[in-house]
Amino acid sequence: MSGSVSPLAALRLVYGLILRQLVTRGRLIALLLVGVVVGGVAAAVGSSDSVDDPLEAAVRVIADLGFITLVPVVALVFASAALGDARDDGTLVYLWLRPMDRWPVVVGAWLAAVTVSLPLTIVPLGIAALLVDGGGTLVSATVIASVVGVLAYSALFVLFGLLFRNSIVWGLGYVLVWEGIVAAFGDFAAKLAIRGYTRSIITSRTGVDLDLGDLSFGVAVVVPLVAAAAALVVASFRLRRMEVA
Amino acid sequence: MTMTNCWPVPAPVAPPMIEITNVTKSFGDVVAVSDVTFSVAAGVTALLGPNGAGKSTLFRVMCGLTPPTRGTVRVLGADARTDRAVRGRIGLAPQQDALFDRLSGRGFVEVAARTHGVADPQGAAREALGHVELDADDHTPVGSYSKGMRQRIKLAAALVNDPDVLILDEPLTGLDPVQRNRMIRLFHDLGDRGKCLLVSSHVLDEVARLGSNVLVIAQGRLAATGDYRAIRDLMDDRPHRIRITADDPRALAAALVARSLVDGLSVSATGLVVDTTDVAGFGRSIAVVARDLGVRLREVAPLDDDLESVFRYLVERR
Repeated sequence: MSGSVSPLAALRLVYGLILRQLVTRGRLIALLLVGVVVGGVAAAVGSSDSVDDPLEAAVRVIADLGFITLVPVVALVFASAALGDARDDGTLVYLWLRPMDRWPVVVGAWLAAVTVSLPLTIVPLGIAALLVDGGGTLVSATVIASVVGVLAYSALFVLFGLLFRNSIVWGLGYVLVWEGIVAAFGDFAAKLAIRGYTRSIITSRTGVDLDLGDLSFGVAVVVPLVAAAAALVVASFRLRRMEVA
Repeated sequence: MTMTNCWPVPAPVAPPMIEITNVTKSFGDVVAVSDVTFSVAAGVTALLGPNGAGKSTLFRVMCGLTPPTRGTVRVLGADARTDRAVRGRIGLAPQQDALFDRLSGRGFVEVAARTHGVADPQGAAREALGHVELDADDHTPVGSYSKGMRQRIKLAAALVNDPDVLILDEPLTGLDPVQRNRMIRLFHDLGDRGKCLLVSSHVLDEVARLGSNVLVIAQGRLAATGDYRAIRDLMDDRPHRIRITADDPRALAAALVARSLVDGLSVSATGLVVDTTDVAGFGRSIAVVARDLGVRLREVAPLDDDLESVFRYLVERR
């Protein structure tokens, strides 16, 4: 009666299942509010008469609040929960003890996290970019950076969900300590900070100088995506080898 | 079931479907399962042991959810941890209560069917829900299910792929007596159809109804294997330890020894602790002996009547 499950079928199954588990009213409302606040602050600063260069001010607010706070936090909340919740509460066994490859489970969970995180980040940041009258360049840069950031952070935090019991804490440690503090003190550490790449996308498109934003557009887009793929490979390997409760 | 102990047991009627050989599982310094060897053939086999004995760990090792620290595990001749195909032939109802709470009962079982690659997941889910007597048209999320319904939905999910091996971790917990009887009947039906069912429990009387094949595990070690009745007799025949508080313990101790009512004893200023294999005879005699001596009994209390001590005895006697 039981048969083999194709990778595509497994991916679709896991995607639908995890998406349904991830989308809770509490999470959506909380993160929508964060998005509204970030977008509102960016718009307010950009339209303020007291700043010399409204575009630069808006870019800085979008880069700082959007790509230091909103994108990593939203991705962390959903991606770390995508498989981390199942691992912690024991439901992972219902995906693990099955005649399926491991990678579709990981990729399906990642896609589910990305599906929820993208609108929660792109919409408020994109609207903020529009409201500050940054023009098409800032809007497109914000959207591209949001997409790249969500894809990369989500892959990393899906991996965290499989590696650590308190993956939210570890994820916050990465965002606040590594990206916020350690990356500021060394080139190598900066290269391991996704924030540097998303800020570089903004910098390369708008010309506004930002800390950690000195990479070319191509590098800033490609490297996080390669890192995301690597994180998913490691997560698949981890899922295959891990002990399931 | 292949027997590794001393009781007369029937010869296995079918080749083993689960083979556990010298399996040890440690978590750091804690040894959860220690050098366990047994095999299980088709039919219903009960795994009896107190909470924390290592039953769930053993089940996890069998299913490949965690690798053994030492030893080998074969389910249907393969290692479920590395063999994808054999995972499709195992049905597991884990002990933990967690489910995909936002799905309906049928949705949950259908997901199980689809992740097993079942050809007709909807039909299979409906059939599995019928086996556990849950309504396939009930759209209530499983998150709002009662304990008994959650147990049954886990069973349905374990059954949905028509597995050859069913590993059920405390599946009767939370069920009312009627449901319990129905589930036990279902287990026997499946066993009669050539399925291998390994069902854990920490309740002795429950195991009595699950079948005659029993594995007893305690403190991570296999304490006994074989026929339930033989194990039950062994448990009843074990030495019992009883504490007696009396106003003249020395005189009472001398009288008990003189009448051969005890196998051993120790005396203190306020009482004595005796060992006996004939609890019933001792119970009938102690009051008479005390009365004849003019000794006043203040307390006669068993020290080891809990199930834990029964299991400890079985482990120590091996």
